[in-house]
Amino acid sequence: MASFLKKHRYALISFVMLLPGLASFFGLFFYPMLVTVVRSFRPEGVTTAWTLRNYTDFLGQASTRQVILLTFFLAIACTLLSIVLSVPLTLLLRQKLAGHRLFRLTILVPITVPGLVGALGLLLFYGSRGWLNLLLMQGLHVVQEPVKINYTLTGLVIFYVWHYFSYTAVTTLSTLEGLDPAFEEAARVAGASPWQVLRHVVIPLIMPGILAGSVLTFMAAFGAFSIPLITGGSYRPLAVQIYKQIEVFTPARWEAASAMAVVMALLQLVFLTFYMRVLRRPTAS
Amino acid sequence: MSDWMIELVDITKRYGNIVANDHVTLRIRRGELMTLLGPSGCGKTTALRCITGQNIPDEGRVFIDGKDVTDVPTHRRELGMVFQNFALFPHMTVFENVEFPLMIRRMDKSERAKLVRDALKLVRLEGYEKHYPRQLSGGQQQRVGLARALVYRPKVLLLDEPLSNLDAKLREEMRFEIKDLQQRLGITAVYVTHDQEEALALSDRVAVMNKGCVQQVGTPAEIYDHPATKFVADFIGLSDFIPAKVVAVEPERVVLDVQGERIAAPPSESVSPGLDVLLFIRPNDVRLRAAEGDRQPNEIAGVIAKSTYLGDKFDYRVDVHGVEVRVQTHGAERFDNGQAVYVYLPHERCRIILESLVCPVR
Ligand SMILES: Nc1ncnc2c1ncn2[C@@H]1O[C@H](COP(=O)(O)OP(=O)(O)OP(=O)(O)O)[C@@H](O)[C@H]1O
Ligand SMILES: [Mg+2]
Repeated sequence: MASFLKKHRYALISFVMLLPGLASFFGLFFYPMLVTVVRSFRPEGVTTAWTLRNYTDFLGQASTRQVILLTFFLAIACTLLSIVLSVPLTLLLRQKLAGHRLFRLTILVPITVPGLVGALGLLLFYGSRGWLNLLLMQGLHVVQEPVKINYTLTGLVIFYVWHYFSYTAVTTLSTLEGLDPAFEEAARVAGASPWQVLRHVVIPLIMPGILAGSVLTFMAAFGAFSIPLITGGSYRPLAVQIYKQIEVFTPARWEAASAMAVVMALLQLVFLTFYMRVLRRPTAS
Repeated sequence: MSDWMIELVDITKRYGNIVANDHVTLRIRRGELMTLLGPSGCGKTTALRCITGQNIPDEGRVFIDGKDVTDVPTHRRELGMVFQNFALFPHMTVFENVEFPLMIRRMDKSERAKLVRDALKLVRLEGYEKHYPRQLSGGQQQRVGLARALVYRPKVLLLDEPLSNLDAKLREEMRFEIKDLQQRLGITAVYVTHDQEEALALSDRVAVMNKGCVQQVGTPAEIYDHPATKFVADFIGLSDFIPAKVVAVEPERVVLDVQGERIAAPPSESVSPGLDVLLFIRPNDVRLRAAEGDRQPNEIAGVIAKSTYLGDKFDYRVDVHGVEVRVQTHGAERFDNGQAVYVYLPHERCRIILESLVCPVR
């Protein structure tokens, strides 16, 4: 026994040190997932029988396809807009113009503000009596009637971008700042205009960073909950729909909600796998 | 057509309080390879970036091919440049890297392919078209860098320490390759280095820089044999500097007082009797003999303070009335520590240098 202990001392110590991590992994992550998956195959309120009803019901509903489409639409639109917004923004920040430090902190705000608080703030700002409309109507006199943004699809996309674009921006910024300026200088001397340098050298070289950041934005937007719950109005993506199963119905429809959650997870998994493929293209160094 | 391919006229460039280029004037001939030589931080890269347009000088003008390009942006200057860290585009193959300047110029595809092939052949890298830069050795990467710089036949080839990331053996090999290429193409080249050996081996002319100033411009032999300042003499090769006072200025010689003894040196500009100067000579130009018989002209008495055997030569420190003179001899004759010797400073090898002269080329 003593010799066994001596021989495997390091393995044992490692195991003991891993225990808290393993315990939390199983307790907080693996076990709840397992429960969700198992429950999604149970008939409503029954804990012994098995069924596919939850899935067939959900997938058979006419509205389901629309919910999934809406979820994807919001996540993809938010991701694309985040990229379009992040690239010029980070290029500017990299110039280290006056005030760039403050701006760097500002783009982190949406991540740090809780979704709930952010959502309420956005509703106030974009409301018919909010600052934006006050500015447009009384400041600039460009419109007579308040512009309707809250509870519209456009508004929802704007709110998504506000809340989730930071992931893309921060990752893009760090990749850009890690870029050796010699590449751009080489391109300039070789005859490339600033625009050509951007298009042929900078963008391709920071693409891995953009993609990595946008994966985060996509995942967060796909699973968005508090923003659409509060500001979505009649637009209810998957996460909100799942929540409604528990909130609206009495008794709560845990089994149906579980099935929907499993479907959501699978969709996300498929999309991510595809995204990772793109990320690992051989030319993206 | 102007004789000069590149002219930097009275360029001053400041970074805050630092004067990186202080009234630099440099003229580079067509087809010439000129090196900018100097210690780290002396402003070589700054001067080069004034040529490329990455730096806008605070004062002065830049001409390329007779045209004032001071306000022309970098990408319209028609230059080729090779970088210290290669700066190959990592997301492009060797072919795409070399093709880049042609692609930017919207050249016809088939013509591009031909020019890229020619350029890769020039640097002996045929067959590597599909490789990515990270799959190549340092030397190969730098050859790609050369091919990319030369592919569209720019007016000028600029090289900023192109070999300092390579090992010593490869460096020597590439040095000759670059020189050979430059001569075959007859292209004007500006080569930045802090390695004096590299500068002497490569250049048609060398511009020695220190603290933002051009100290001297000349052929390698001129720089080595007739350094204009103490800095240049010291930077290139071994030097003896012996404090001296000008006694008489005659038409074909200048007589100096060295620790109370008379030494004659060739005529020199801007010296007058009574002036404190430095007598400069290379240690391997100095001769030693045992102190016997009468002293000859330009011989002074000394004592061997230290001797070192260097394999193919002896290195002596000789105490000449309290001044240390370094001497390197190849002869069989050996001198021992403490031995009295006569130190012969051949008249034609002596140079007079004004210590106060710091920024002579203006
Ligand atoms: N962008 C910059 N901002 C501030 N100071 C600079 C900048 N570029 C160069 N300098 C300063 O100007 C001086 C000359 O720099 P330069 O890069 O021309 O030196 P160099 O001769 O090329 O040196 P090295 O051999 O180390 O490359 C240095 O003191 C350097 O610190
Ligand atoms: Mg430099």
